[in-house]
Amino acid sequence: MALNSNQSLRKTRSVPQRHFNQRQLAGLWFILPAALSLLVIVAYPLLYGFYISLFRTNLLTRWDFRWFQNYIRIFTSADFLQTVFTTLKFTVGAVAGQFVVGLSLALLLNTKVPGRALFRTILIVPWLFPEVVVALLWKWMYNPLYGLFNDILLILNVISEPTSWLGSTATALPSVILTVIWKGYPLVMLLMLAGLQAISQEQYESAEIDGASWWQSFLYITLPNLRNVIMITLILNTVWWFKHFGIVWVLTQGGPINATSVISIDIYKTAFEAFRFGRAAALAVIVFFIVFLISFLYQRFLGGDE
Amino acid sequence: MTRQQRQRLHTSVVFMILLIASTFVIVPVLWMFSTSVKTMEEMFSLPIKWIPETISWDAYQRIWTDYPFGRYILNSFIVVSGATLISLFVSSLAGYGASRFRFLGRTAFLTFLLITQMFPSIMLLIPYFQLMKTFGLINTYAGLIFAYISFTIPLASWLMLGYFNSIPKELDDAASIDGASRWRIFWQIVMPLALPGLAATAVYAFIVGWNEYIFALVLTTDDKMKTIPIGIGELIGQYRIAWNDMMAVSLVVSVPLTILFLFLQRFLVSSLTAGAVKQ
Repeated sequence: MALNSNQSLRKTRSVPQRHFNQRQLAGLWFILPAALSLLVIVAYPLLYGFYISLFRTNLLTRWDFRWFQNYIRIFTSADFLQTVFTTLKFTVGAVAGQFVVGLSLALLLNTKVPGRALFRTILIVPWLFPEVVVALLWKWMYNPLYGLFNDILLILNVISEPTSWLGSTATALPSVILTVIWKGYPLVMLLMLAGLQAISQEQYESAEIDGASWWQSFLYITLPNLRNVIMITLILNTVWWFKHFGIVWVLTQGGPINATSVISIDIYKTAFEAFRFGRAAALAVIVFFIVFLISFLYQRFLGGDE
Repeated sequence: MTRQQRQRLHTSVVFMILLIASTFVIVPVLWMFSTSVKTMEEMFSLPIKWIPETISWDAYQRIWTDYPFGRYILNSFIVVSGATLISLFVSSLAGYGASRFRFLGRTAFLTFLLITQMFPSIMLLIPYFQLMKTFGLINTYAGLIFAYISFTIPLASWLMLGYFNSIPKELDDAASIDGASRWRIFWQIVMPLALPGLAATAVYAFIVGWNEYIFALVLTTDDKMKTIPIGIGELIGQYRIAWNDMMAVSLVVSVPLTILFLFLQRFLVSSLTAGAVKQ
Protein backbone atom coordinates (compact mmCIF):
# COMPACT_ATOMS: atom_id res chain seq x y z
CA MET A 1 0.00 0.00 0.00
CA ALA A 2 2.69 2.42 1.07
CA LEU A 3 4.69 1.64 -2.01
CA ASN A 4 1.65 2.08 -4.16
CA SER A 5 0.77 5.53 -2.91
CA ASN A 6 4.38 6.53 -3.24
CA GLN A 7 4.32 5.49 -6.85
CA SER A 8 1.14 7.36 -7.59
CA LEU A 9 2.61 10.41 -5.93
CA ARG A 10 5.65 10.28 -8.14
CA LYS A 11 3.44 9.77 -11.11
CA THR A 12 1.41 12.88 -10.47
CA ARG A 13 4.56 14.84 -10.03
CA SER A 14 6.09 13.70 -13.27
CA VAL A 15 3.00 14.29 -15.37
CA PRO A 16 3.18 18.10 -15.55
CA GLN A 17 6.91 17.78 -16.15
CA ARG A 18 6.39 15.49 -19.15
CA HIS A 19 3.49 17.56 -20.32
CA PHE A 20 5.68 20.65 -20.25
CA ASN A 21 8.39 18.99 -22.30
CA GLN A 22 5.87 17.83 -24.85
CA ARG A 23 4.51 21.33 -25.15
CA GLN A 24 8.02 22.63 -25.65
CA LEU A 25 8.70 20.08 -28.34
CA ALA A 26 5.37 20.61 -30.08
CA GLY A 27 6.03 24.34 -30.33
CA LEU A 28 9.43 23.71 -31.84
CA TRP A 29 7.97 21.34 -34.41
CA PHE A 30 5.52 23.97 -35.54
CA ILE A 31 8.09 26.71 -36.07
CA LEU A 32 10.68 24.33 -37.52
CA PRO A 33 9.80 24.78 -41.23
CA ALA A 34 9.84 28.56 -40.95
CA ALA A 35 12.99 28.64 -38.83
CA LEU A 36 14.82 26.25 -41.16
CA SER A 37 13.85 28.10 -44.32
CA LEU A 38 14.89 31.42 -42.80
CA LEU A 39 18.20 29.96 -41.74
CA VAL A 40 18.85 28.79 -45.28
CA ILE A 41 17.52 31.78 -47.20
CA VAL A 42 18.31 34.62 -44.80
CA ALA A 43 20.85 33.80 -42.08
CA TYR A 44 23.29 31.86 -44.24
CA PRO A 45 23.34 34.36 -47.15
CA LEU A 46 23.83 37.20 -44.67
CA LEU A 47 26.89 35.56 -43.20
CA TYR A 48 28.07 34.77 -46.69
CA GLY A 49 27.59 38.45 -47.58
CA PHE A 50 29.77 39.41 -44.64
CA TYR A 51 32.36 36.89 -45.87
CA ILE A 52 32.33 38.45 -49.35
CA SER A 53 32.83 41.88 -47.76
CA LEU A 54 36.29 40.79 -46.60
CA PHE A 55 37.47 40.24 -50.16
CA ARG A 56 38.42 42.31 -53.08
CA THR A 57 36.46 40.42 -55.67
CA ASN A 58 34.55 40.49 -58.92
CA LEU A 59 33.00 37.13 -57.95
CA LEU A 60 34.59 35.48 -60.97
CA THR A 61 38.31 35.51 -61.47
CA ARG A 62 39.48 37.48 -58.52
CA TRP A 63 39.11 36.65 -54.83
CA ASP A 64 41.75 38.47 -52.80
CA PHE A 65 41.31 38.24 -49.07
CA ARG A 66 41.88 41.71 -47.61
CA TRP A 67 40.57 41.56 -44.04
CA PHE A 68 38.73 44.82 -43.30
CA GLN A 69 40.29 46.90 -46.03
CA ASN A 70 36.94 47.51 -47.73
CA TYR A 71 35.51 48.94 -44.52
CA ILE A 72 38.53 51.13 -43.88
CA ARG A 73 38.42 52.49 -47.43
CA ILE A 74 34.71 53.20 -47.15
CA PHE A 75 34.97 55.04 -43.87
CA THR A 76 37.82 57.18 -45.07
CA SER A 77 36.19 58.20 -48.36
CA ALA A 78 34.35 61.48 -48.76
CA ASP A 79 31.94 59.87 -51.26
CA PHE A 80 30.59 57.60 -48.57
CA LEU A 81 29.81 60.47 -46.21
CA GLN A 82 28.12 62.29 -49.07
CA THR A 83 26.00 59.22 -49.87
CA VAL A 84 25.00 58.74 -46.24
CA PHE A 85 24.10 62.41 -46.01
CA THR A 86 21.92 62.20 -49.13
CA THR A 87 20.30 59.05 -47.79
CA LEU A 88 19.57 60.74 -44.47
CA LYS A 89 18.02 63.76 -46.21
CA PHE A 90 15.92 61.43 -48.33
CA THR A 91 14.84 59.32 -45.36
CA VAL A 92 14.04 62.22 -43.06
CA GLY A 93 12.09 63.97 -45.81
CA ALA A 94 10.16 60.84 -46.72
CA VAL A 95 9.40 59.70 -43.17
CA ALA A 96 8.56 63.16 -41.79
CA GLY A 97 6.42 64.00 -44.82
CA GLN A 98 4.53 60.74 -44.70
CA PHE A 99 4.07 61.11 -40.97
CA VAL A 100 2.63 64.62 -41.12
CA VAL A 101 0.35 63.85 -44.08
CA GLY A 102 -0.65 60.41 -42.73
CA LEU A 103 -1.42 61.61 -39.20
CA SER A 104 -3.32 64.69 -40.41
CA LEU A 105 -5.48 62.67 -42.76
CA ALA A 106 -6.09 60.06 -40.08
CA LEU A 107 -7.26 62.77 -37.67
CA LEU A 108 -9.60 64.15 -40.34
CA LEU A 109 -10.95 60.71 -41.23
CA ASN A 110 -11.58 60.01 -37.56
CA THR A 111 -14.28 62.70 -37.41
CA LYS A 112 -17.95 62.32 -38.36
CA VAL A 113 -17.47 63.80 -41.81
CA PRO A 114 -19.87 62.71 -44.58
CA GLY A 115 -18.34 60.36 -47.18
CA ARG A 116 -15.44 59.36 -45.01
CA ALA A 117 -15.52 55.72 -46.19
CA LEU A 118 -15.17 56.94 -49.77
CA PHE A 119 -12.39 59.36 -48.85
CA ARG A 120 -10.54 56.62 -47.05
CA THR A 121 -10.85 54.32 -50.06
CA ILE A 122 -9.51 56.96 -52.44
CA LEU A 123 -6.69 57.95 -50.13
CA ILE A 124 -5.41 54.35 -49.81
CA VAL A 125 -4.89 53.96 -53.57
CA PRO A 126 -1.26 55.19 -53.96
CA TRP A 127 -0.10 52.60 -51.45
CA LEU A 128 -1.52 49.79 -53.57
CA PHE A 129 0.23 50.77 -56.78
CA PRO A 130 3.53 49.00 -57.44
CA GLU A 131 6.63 51.13 -56.82
CA VAL A 132 7.58 50.98 -60.47
CA VAL A 133 4.18 52.20 -61.56
CA VAL A 134 4.28 55.09 -59.09
CA ALA A 135 7.78 56.03 -60.22
CA LEU A 136 6.80 55.83 -63.88
CA LEU A 137 3.67 57.91 -63.37
CA TRP A 138 5.60 60.63 -61.56
CA LYS A 139 8.40 60.60 -64.05
CA TRP A 140 5.80 61.28 -66.72
CA MET A 141 4.17 64.00 -64.60
CA TYR A 142 7.55 65.64 -63.99
CA ASN A 143 8.30 65.63 -67.73
CA PRO A 144 9.56 69.16 -68.46
CA LEU A 145 7.64 69.52 -71.73
CA TYR A 146 4.56 67.34 -71.66
CA GLY A 147 4.18 66.73 -67.94
CA LEU A 148 1.18 67.58 -65.81
CA PHE A 149 3.22 68.96 -62.93
CA ASN A 150 4.60 71.96 -64.81
CA ASP A 151 1.24 72.53 -66.44
CA ILE A 152 -0.56 72.81 -63.10
CA LEU A 153 2.14 74.99 -61.57
CA LEU A 154 2.04 77.28 -64.62
CA ILE A 155 -1.73 77.58 -64.38
CA LEU A 156 -1.44 78.38 -60.66
CA ASN A 157 1.33 80.87 -61.44
CA VAL A 158 3.73 79.20 -59.05
CA ILE A 159 6.39 79.09 -61.76
CA SER A 160 6.78 81.26 -64.83
CA GLU A 161 8.41 78.74 -67.16
CA PRO A 162 8.66 74.94 -67.37
CA THR A 163 11.22 73.40 -65.04
CA SER A 164 13.08 70.13 -65.36
CA TRP A 165 12.32 68.88 -61.84
CA LEU A 166 14.30 65.66 -62.03
CA GLY A 167 16.98 67.15 -64.25
CA SER A 168 18.49 69.72 -61.94
CA THR A 169 20.58 68.90 -58.89
CA ALA A 170 18.68 71.38 -56.74
CA THR A 171 15.18 70.02 -57.33
CA ALA A 172 15.81 66.31 -58.01
CA LEU A 173 15.90 65.13 -54.41
CA PRO A 174 12.84 67.11 -53.24
CA SER A 175 10.95 65.83 -56.29
CA VAL A 176 11.87 62.25 -55.49
CA ILE A 177 10.84 62.79 -51.86
CA LEU A 178 7.48 64.17 -52.94
CA THR A 179 6.86 61.04 -55.01
CA VAL A 180 7.81 58.83 -52.09
CA ILE A 181 5.51 60.73 -49.73
CA TRP A 182 2.65 60.23 -52.19
CA LYS A 183 3.36 56.52 -52.33
CA GLY A 184 3.92 55.96 -48.62
CA TYR A 185 1.55 58.17 -46.59
CA PRO A 186 -1.45 55.79 -46.82
CA LEU A 187 0.20 53.14 -44.66
CA VAL A 188 0.91 55.72 -41.94
CA MET A 189 -2.66 56.97 -42.29
CA LEU A 190 -4.11 53.47 -41.84
CA LEU A 191 -1.94 52.67 -38.83
CA MET A 192 -2.73 56.02 -37.17
CA LEU A 193 -6.43 55.64 -37.91
CA ALA A 194 -6.44 52.22 -36.27
CA GLY A 195 -4.63 53.72 -33.30
CA LEU A 196 -7.11 56.59 -33.05
CA GLN A 197 -10.08 54.27 -33.18
CA ALA A 198 -8.68 52.27 -30.29
CA ILE A 199 -8.77 55.31 -27.96
CA SER A 200 -11.87 55.26 -25.77
CA GLN A 201 -14.27 58.14 -26.33
CA GLU A 202 -14.80 58.58 -22.59
CA GLN A 203 -11.43 60.26 -22.22
CA TYR A 204 -12.41 62.91 -24.73
CA GLU A 205 -15.85 63.37 -23.19
CA SER A 206 -14.48 63.99 -19.72
CA ALA A 207 -11.86 66.35 -21.15
CA GLU A 208 -14.60 68.27 -22.90
CA ILE A 209 -16.56 68.58 -19.67
CA ASP A 210 -13.43 69.96 -18.04
CA GLY A 211 -13.30 72.56 -20.82
CA ALA A 212 -10.25 71.30 -22.69
CA SER A 213 -9.61 72.76 -26.14
CA TRP A 214 -9.14 70.59 -29.19
CA TRP A 215 -5.43 71.22 -29.06
CA GLN A 216 -5.23 70.24 -25.39
CA SER A 217 -7.13 67.02 -26.03
CA PHE A 218 -4.81 66.26 -28.89
CA LEU A 219 -1.72 66.92 -26.82
CA TYR A 220 -2.75 65.20 -23.62
CA ILE A 221 -5.04 62.40 -24.80
CA THR A 222 -4.45 61.61 -28.45
CA LEU A 223 -0.66 61.73 -28.63
CA PRO A 224 0.06 59.76 -25.44
CA ASN A 225 -2.41 57.08 -26.52
CA LEU A 226 -0.85 56.88 -29.95
CA ARG A 227 2.69 56.66 -28.65
CA ASN A 228 3.12 52.95 -29.37
CA VAL A 229 1.65 53.12 -32.86
CA ILE A 230 3.73 56.18 -33.63
CA MET A 231 6.89 54.47 -32.51
CA ILE A 232 6.23 51.30 -34.52
CA THR A 233 5.32 53.35 -37.58
CA LEU A 234 8.37 55.58 -37.35
CA ILE A 235 10.78 52.69 -36.84
CA LEU A 236 9.36 50.57 -39.65
CA ASN A 237 9.14 53.53 -41.99
CA THR A 238 12.64 54.83 -41.30
CA VAL A 239 14.14 51.40 -41.77
CA TRP A 240 12.07 50.85 -44.90
CA TRP A 241 12.94 54.11 -46.66
CA PHE A 242 16.55 54.24 -45.54
CA LYS A 243 17.26 51.18 -47.67
CA HIS A 244 14.85 52.05 -50.45
CA PHE A 245 15.81 51.45 -54.05
CA GLY A 246 13.00 51.05 -56.58
CA ILE A 247 11.36 54.47 -56.92
CA VAL A 248 14.64 56.39 -56.88
CA TRP A 249 16.14 54.01 -59.39
CA VAL A 250 13.34 54.39 -61.90
CA LEU A 251 13.02 58.16 -61.41
CA THR A 252 16.67 59.26 -61.56
CA GLN A 253 19.07 56.27 -61.28
CA GLY A 254 20.82 58.36 -58.63
CA GLY A 255 21.38 61.38 -60.86
CA PRO A 256 21.72 64.10 -61.95
CA ILE A 257 25.39 63.79 -61.01
CA ASN A 258 24.92 62.25 -57.55
CA ALA A 259 22.04 64.38 -56.32
CA THR A 260 19.76 61.45 -55.54
CA SER A 261 22.37 58.77 -55.05
CA VAL A 262 21.02 57.11 -51.91
CA ILE A 263 22.99 54.29 -50.37
CA SER A 264 21.16 51.38 -51.98
CA ILE A 265 21.70 52.92 -55.41
CA ASP A 266 25.36 53.30 -54.55
CA ILE A 267 25.55 49.64 -53.51
CA TYR A 268 23.80 48.49 -56.67
CA LYS A 269 26.12 50.49 -58.91
CA THR A 270 29.24 49.45 -57.00
CA ALA A 271 28.28 45.80 -57.38
CA PHE A 272 26.59 45.46 -60.74
CA GLU A 273 28.10 48.30 -62.72
CA ALA A 274 31.63 48.60 -61.28
CA PHE A 275 31.79 44.88 -60.29
CA ARG A 276 33.40 45.71 -56.95
CA PHE A 277 31.37 43.14 -55.05
CA GLY A 278 33.54 43.13 -51.94
CA ARG A 279 33.11 46.84 -51.39
CA ALA A 280 29.39 46.63 -52.15
CA ALA A 281 28.94 43.81 -49.64
CA ALA A 282 30.79 45.88 -47.03
CA LEU A 283 28.50 48.84 -47.74
CA ALA A 284 25.48 46.58 -47.23
CA VAL A 285 26.81 45.40 -43.87
CA ILE A 286 27.30 49.02 -42.83
CA VAL A 287 23.72 49.86 -43.85
CA PHE A 288 22.50 47.07 -41.62
CA PHE A 289 24.30 48.52 -38.62
CA ILE A 290 23.08 52.04 -39.36
CA VAL A 291 19.51 50.79 -39.60
CA PHE A 292 19.96 48.83 -36.39
CA LEU A 293 21.31 51.92 -34.65
CA ILE A 294 18.40 54.04 -35.87
CA SER A 295 15.79 51.66 -34.52
CA PHE A 296 17.68 51.38 -31.25
CA LEU A 297 17.75 55.16 -30.86
CA TYR A 298 14.04 55.41 -31.57
CA GLN A 299 13.27 52.86 -28.93
CA ARG A 300 15.54 54.64 -26.49
CA PHE A 301 13.98 58.06 -26.95
CA LEU A 302 10.39 57.28 -27.81
CA GLY A 303 9.94 53.88 -26.19
CA GLY A 304 10.05 54.62 -22.49
CA ASP A 305 8.69 51.51 -20.83
CA GLU A 306 9.63 48.80 -23.31
CA MET B 1 -22.13 81.31 -33.39
CA THR B 2 -24.06 78.51 -31.78
CA ARG B 3 -22.49 75.20 -30.95
CA GLN B 4 -24.34 73.56 -33.82
CA GLN B 5 -23.18 76.13 -36.35
CA ARG B 6 -19.63 75.76 -35.19
CA GLN B 7 -19.91 72.01 -35.53
CA ARG B 8 -21.23 72.39 -39.09
CA LEU B 9 -18.44 74.79 -40.06
CA HIS B 10 -15.92 72.40 -38.57
CA THR B 11 -17.31 69.48 -40.58
CA SER B 12 -17.30 71.40 -43.83
CA VAL B 13 -13.68 72.47 -43.34
CA VAL B 14 -12.71 68.84 -42.72
CA PHE B 15 -14.70 67.83 -45.80
CA MET B 16 -12.95 70.41 -47.97
CA ILE B 17 -9.48 69.34 -46.85
CA LEU B 18 -10.26 65.69 -47.53
CA LEU B 19 -11.63 66.65 -50.92
CA ILE B 20 -8.43 68.49 -51.80
CA ALA B 21 -6.30 65.59 -50.54
CA SER B 22 -8.35 63.20 -52.67
CA THR B 23 -7.78 65.26 -55.80
CA PHE B 24 -4.05 64.82 -55.25
CA VAL B 25 -4.69 61.11 -55.66
CA ILE B 26 -7.39 61.21 -58.31
CA VAL B 27 -5.74 63.66 -60.70
CA PRO B 28 -2.53 61.62 -61.21
CA VAL B 29 -4.55 58.42 -61.64
CA LEU B 30 -6.86 60.07 -64.18
CA TRP B 31 -3.84 61.55 -65.91
CA MET B 32 -2.52 58.01 -66.22
CA PHE B 33 -5.75 56.92 -67.82
CA SER B 34 -5.99 59.96 -70.06
CA THR B 35 -2.43 59.35 -71.29
CA SER B 36 -3.17 55.70 -71.98
CA VAL B 37 -5.99 56.53 -74.39
CA LYS B 38 -4.11 59.24 -76.26
CA THR B 39 -2.58 58.87 -79.69
CA MET B 40 1.16 59.43 -80.09
CA GLU B 41 0.55 62.80 -81.75
CA GLU B 42 -1.72 64.10 -79.01
CA MET B 43 0.57 62.87 -76.26
CA PHE B 44 3.46 64.90 -77.63
CA SER B 45 1.53 68.04 -78.55
CA LEU B 46 1.58 71.41 -76.85
CA PRO B 47 -0.19 72.80 -74.97
CA ILE B 48 -0.90 69.50 -73.23
CA LYS B 49 -4.45 68.21 -73.32
CA TRP B 50 -5.93 66.95 -70.08
CA ILE B 51 -8.69 65.21 -71.97
CA PRO B 52 -7.77 63.70 -75.34
CA GLU B 53 -9.75 64.78 -78.39
CA THR B 54 -9.59 61.41 -80.04
CA ILE B 55 -9.83 58.48 -77.70
CA SER B 56 -7.76 55.56 -78.86
CA TRP B 57 -7.68 52.18 -77.13
CA ASP B 58 -4.80 50.98 -79.29
CA ALA B 59 -2.30 51.13 -76.43
CA TYR B 60 -4.27 48.43 -74.64
CA GLN B 61 -3.77 46.18 -77.68
CA ARG B 62 -0.18 47.12 -78.35
CA ILE B 63 0.96 46.15 -74.86
CA TRP B 64 0.08 42.53 -75.69
CA THR B 65 1.39 42.48 -79.26
CA ASP B 66 4.39 44.85 -79.39
CA TYR B 67 5.87 44.10 -75.96
CA PRO B 68 6.46 40.85 -74.05
CA PHE B 69 4.26 42.06 -71.17
CA GLY B 70 2.08 38.97 -71.36
CA ARG B 71 5.08 36.80 -70.68
CA TYR B 72 6.26 39.11 -67.87
CA ILE B 73 2.87 38.99 -66.20
CA LEU B 74 2.87 35.21 -66.43
CA ASN B 75 6.37 35.10 -64.88
CA SER B 76 5.32 37.39 -62.07
CA PHE B 77 2.20 35.35 -61.49
CA ILE B 78 4.07 32.04 -61.26
CA VAL B 79 6.82 33.38 -58.99
CA VAL B 80 4.55 35.34 -56.68
CA SER B 81 1.97 32.56 -56.37
CA GLY B 82 4.70 30.06 -55.58
CA ALA B 83 6.24 32.29 -52.94
CA THR B 84 2.82 33.08 -51.47
CA LEU B 85 1.77 29.43 -51.20
CA ILE B 86 5.03 28.37 -49.54
CA SER B 87 4.88 31.31 -47.13
CA LEU B 88 1.28 30.57 -46.20
CA PHE B 89 2.04 26.96 -45.37
CA VAL B 90 5.19 27.67 -43.39
CA SER B 91 3.87 30.73 -41.61
CA SER B 92 0.57 29.15 -40.51
CA LEU B 93 2.56 26.49 -38.72
CA ALA B 94 4.99 29.02 -37.27
CA GLY B 95 2.26 31.48 -36.29
CA TYR B 96 0.31 28.74 -34.52
CA GLY B 97 3.41 27.41 -32.78
CA ALA B 98 4.50 30.81 -31.53
CA SER B 99 0.96 31.73 -30.48
CA ARG B 100 0.13 28.53 -28.54
CA PHE B 101 3.36 27.35 -26.98
CA ARG B 102 6.00 28.83 -24.75
CA PHE B 103 9.22 27.13 -25.63
CA LEU B 104 12.93 27.64 -25.69
CA GLY B 105 13.87 29.77 -28.67
CA ARG B 106 10.43 31.30 -29.15
CA THR B 107 11.63 34.79 -28.32
CA ALA B 108 14.72 34.28 -30.42
CA PHE B 109 12.54 33.25 -33.35
CA LEU B 110 10.24 36.26 -33.01
CA THR B 111 13.19 38.62 -32.68
CA PHE B 112 14.72 37.10 -35.77
CA LEU B 113 11.49 37.69 -37.69
CA LEU B 114 11.59 41.32 -36.65
CA ILE B 115 15.25 41.76 -37.51
CA THR B 116 14.69 40.39 -41.00
CA GLN B 117 12.62 43.53 -41.55
CA MET B 118 15.77 45.55 -40.96
CA PHE B 119 17.97 43.79 -43.45
CA PRO B 120 18.42 45.91 -46.47
CA SER B 121 17.24 43.54 -49.19
CA ILE B 122 20.31 44.83 -50.92
CA MET B 123 22.36 43.07 -48.26
CA LEU B 124 21.01 39.74 -49.44
CA LEU B 125 21.35 40.75 -53.05
CA ILE B 126 25.07 40.14 -53.51
CA PRO B 127 25.21 36.79 -51.67
CA TYR B 128 22.05 35.69 -53.53
CA PHE B 129 23.56 36.63 -56.83
CA GLN B 130 26.69 34.61 -56.12
CA LEU B 131 24.91 31.62 -54.55
CA MET B 132 22.32 31.41 -57.30
CA LYS B 133 24.99 31.62 -59.93
CA THR B 134 26.73 28.71 -58.24
CA PHE B 135 23.57 26.62 -58.08
CA GLY B 136 22.36 27.62 -61.52
CA LEU B 137 19.29 29.41 -60.18
CA ILE B 138 19.71 32.69 -62.09
CA ASN B 139 16.87 33.10 -64.58
CA THR B 140 14.75 30.42 -62.95
CA TYR B 141 11.40 30.61 -61.21
CA ALA B 142 12.86 28.62 -58.30
CA GLY B 143 15.59 31.21 -57.77
CA LEU B 144 13.14 34.08 -57.62
CA ILE B 145 10.79 32.14 -55.36
CA PHE B 146 13.67 31.55 -52.94
CA ALA B 147 14.46 35.25 -52.93
CA TYR B 148 10.82 36.24 -52.46
CA ILE B 149 10.08 33.96 -49.54
CA SER B 150 12.94 35.65 -47.68
CA PHE B 151 10.61 38.59 -47.11
CA THR B 152 7.16 36.99 -47.46
CA ILE B 153 7.74 34.35 -44.76
CA PRO B 154 8.57 36.89 -42.00
CA LEU B 155 5.68 39.14 -43.02
CA ALA B 156 3.21 36.23 -43.23
CA SER B 157 4.41 34.76 -39.94
CA TRP B 158 3.79 38.05 -38.11
CA LEU B 159 0.34 38.42 -39.60
CA MET B 160 -0.63 34.82 -38.84
CA LEU B 161 0.74 35.08 -35.29
CA GLY B 162 -1.49 38.10 -34.74
CA TYR B 163 -4.48 36.26 -36.11
CA PHE B 164 -3.92 33.08 -34.07
CA ASN B 165 -3.55 35.20 -30.93
CA SER B 166 -7.08 36.49 -31.53
CA ILE B 167 -8.51 32.93 -31.48
CA PRO B 168 -9.20 31.86 -27.86
CA LYS B 169 -6.77 29.29 -26.50
CA GLU B 170 -9.59 27.68 -24.50
CA LEU B 171 -10.63 26.05 -27.75
CA ASP B 172 -7.35 24.13 -27.91
CA ASP B 173 -7.63 23.13 -24.26
CA ALA B 174 -11.15 21.80 -24.73
CA ALA B 175 -10.12 19.75 -27.74
CA SER B 176 -7.03 18.56 -25.90
CA ILE B 177 -9.17 17.26 -23.04
CA ASP B 178 -11.26 15.40 -25.60
CA GLY B 179 -8.06 13.64 -26.64
CA ALA B 180 -7.29 15.35 -29.95
CA SER B 181 -3.65 15.42 -30.97
CA ARG B 182 -1.74 18.68 -31.40
CA TRP B 183 -1.74 18.31 -35.14
CA ARG B 184 -5.50 17.58 -35.28
CA ILE B 185 -6.23 20.58 -33.08
CA PHE B 186 -4.23 22.76 -35.40
CA TRP B 187 -5.50 21.35 -38.67
CA GLN B 188 -9.15 20.58 -37.93
CA ILE B 189 -10.12 23.03 -35.22
CA VAL B 190 -7.99 26.19 -35.22
CA MET B 191 -7.01 26.41 -38.88
CA PRO B 192 -10.60 26.55 -40.21
CA LEU B 193 -11.20 29.49 -37.87
CA ALA B 194 -8.04 31.16 -39.10
CA LEU B 195 -9.05 31.05 -42.76
CA PRO B 196 -9.96 34.76 -42.92
CA GLY B 197 -6.55 35.60 -41.48
CA LEU B 198 -4.96 33.27 -43.99
CA ALA B 199 -6.78 35.01 -46.83
CA ALA B 200 -5.64 38.45 -45.64
CA THR B 201 -2.08 37.19 -45.29
CA ALA B 202 -2.24 35.75 -48.80
CA VAL B 203 -3.30 39.11 -50.22
CA TYR B 204 -0.47 40.94 -48.46
CA ALA B 205 2.18 38.40 -49.41
CA PHE B 206 0.95 38.53 -52.99
CA ILE B 207 1.00 42.33 -53.13
CA VAL B 208 4.52 42.71 -51.73
CA GLY B 209 5.75 39.99 -54.06
CA TRP B 210 3.97 41.45 -57.07
CA ASN B 211 5.56 44.85 -56.41
CA GLU B 212 9.07 43.56 -55.68
CA TYR B 213 11.76 45.15 -57.80
CA ILE B 214 15.41 44.79 -56.85
CA PHE B 215 15.73 41.01 -56.51
CA ALA B 216 14.12 40.45 -59.87
CA LEU B 217 16.33 43.15 -61.38
CA VAL B 218 19.49 41.27 -60.42
CA LEU B 219 18.40 37.64 -60.51
CA THR B 220 16.95 37.70 -64.01
CA THR B 221 19.08 38.58 -67.00
CA ASP B 222 17.18 36.65 -69.63
CA ASP B 223 14.38 38.63 -71.25
CA LYS B 224 12.05 35.66 -71.06
CA MET B 225 12.31 35.42 -67.26
CA LYS B 226 11.73 39.04 -66.24
CA THR B 227 8.90 39.95 -63.91
CA ILE B 228 6.44 42.67 -64.81
CA PRO B 229 7.93 45.46 -62.63
CA ILE B 230 11.30 44.94 -64.29
CA GLY B 231 9.74 44.78 -67.73
CA ILE B 232 7.96 48.08 -67.19
CA GLY B 233 10.91 49.74 -65.47
CA GLU B 234 13.51 49.00 -68.12
CA LEU B 235 11.60 50.76 -70.89
CA ILE B 236 12.15 54.04 -69.11
CA GLY B 237 15.74 54.21 -70.35
CA GLN B 238 14.63 54.60 -73.93
CA TYR B 239 14.93 57.91 -75.65
CA ARG B 240 11.38 58.65 -76.66
CA ILE B 241 9.19 56.68 -74.35
CA ALA B 242 5.76 55.60 -75.55
CA TRP B 243 4.08 56.94 -72.46
CA ASN B 244 0.60 55.91 -73.60
CA ASP B 245 1.69 52.27 -73.78
CA MET B 246 3.50 52.57 -70.44
CA MET B 247 0.50 54.07 -68.70
CA ALA B 248 -1.77 51.42 -70.22
CA VAL B 249 0.34 48.55 -68.94
CA SER B 250 0.77 50.30 -65.58
CA LEU B 251 -2.98 50.45 -65.16
CA VAL B 252 -3.42 46.86 -66.29
CA VAL B 253 -1.00 45.53 -63.65
CA SER B 254 -2.18 47.81 -60.83
CA VAL B 255 -5.93 48.01 -61.13
CA PRO B 256 -6.97 44.37 -60.48
CA LEU B 257 -5.07 44.12 -57.18
CA THR B 258 -6.16 47.61 -56.14
CA ILE B 259 -9.82 46.80 -56.70
CA LEU B 260 -9.51 43.49 -54.90
CA PHE B 261 -7.91 45.24 -51.95
CA LEU B 262 -10.43 48.05 -51.81
CA PHE B 263 -13.32 45.58 -51.81
CA LEU B 264 -11.83 43.76 -48.86
CA GLN B 265 -10.25 46.81 -47.24
CA ARG B 266 -12.12 46.84 -43.94
CA PHE B 267 -11.10 43.28 -43.24
CA LEU B 268 -7.59 43.52 -44.70
CA VAL B 269 -6.71 46.72 -42.87
CA SER B 270 -7.85 45.42 -39.51
CA SER B 271 -5.66 42.33 -39.83
CA LEU B 272 -2.66 44.48 -40.70
CA THR B 273 -3.07 47.00 -37.92
CA ALA B 274 -4.03 44.52 -35.20
CA GLY B 275 -0.42 43.90 -34.27
CA ALA B 276 0.66 47.51 -34.28
CA VAL B 277 -2.24 48.88 -32.27
CA LYS B 278 -2.22 46.34 -29.47
CA GLN B 279 -0.85 47.97 -26.35
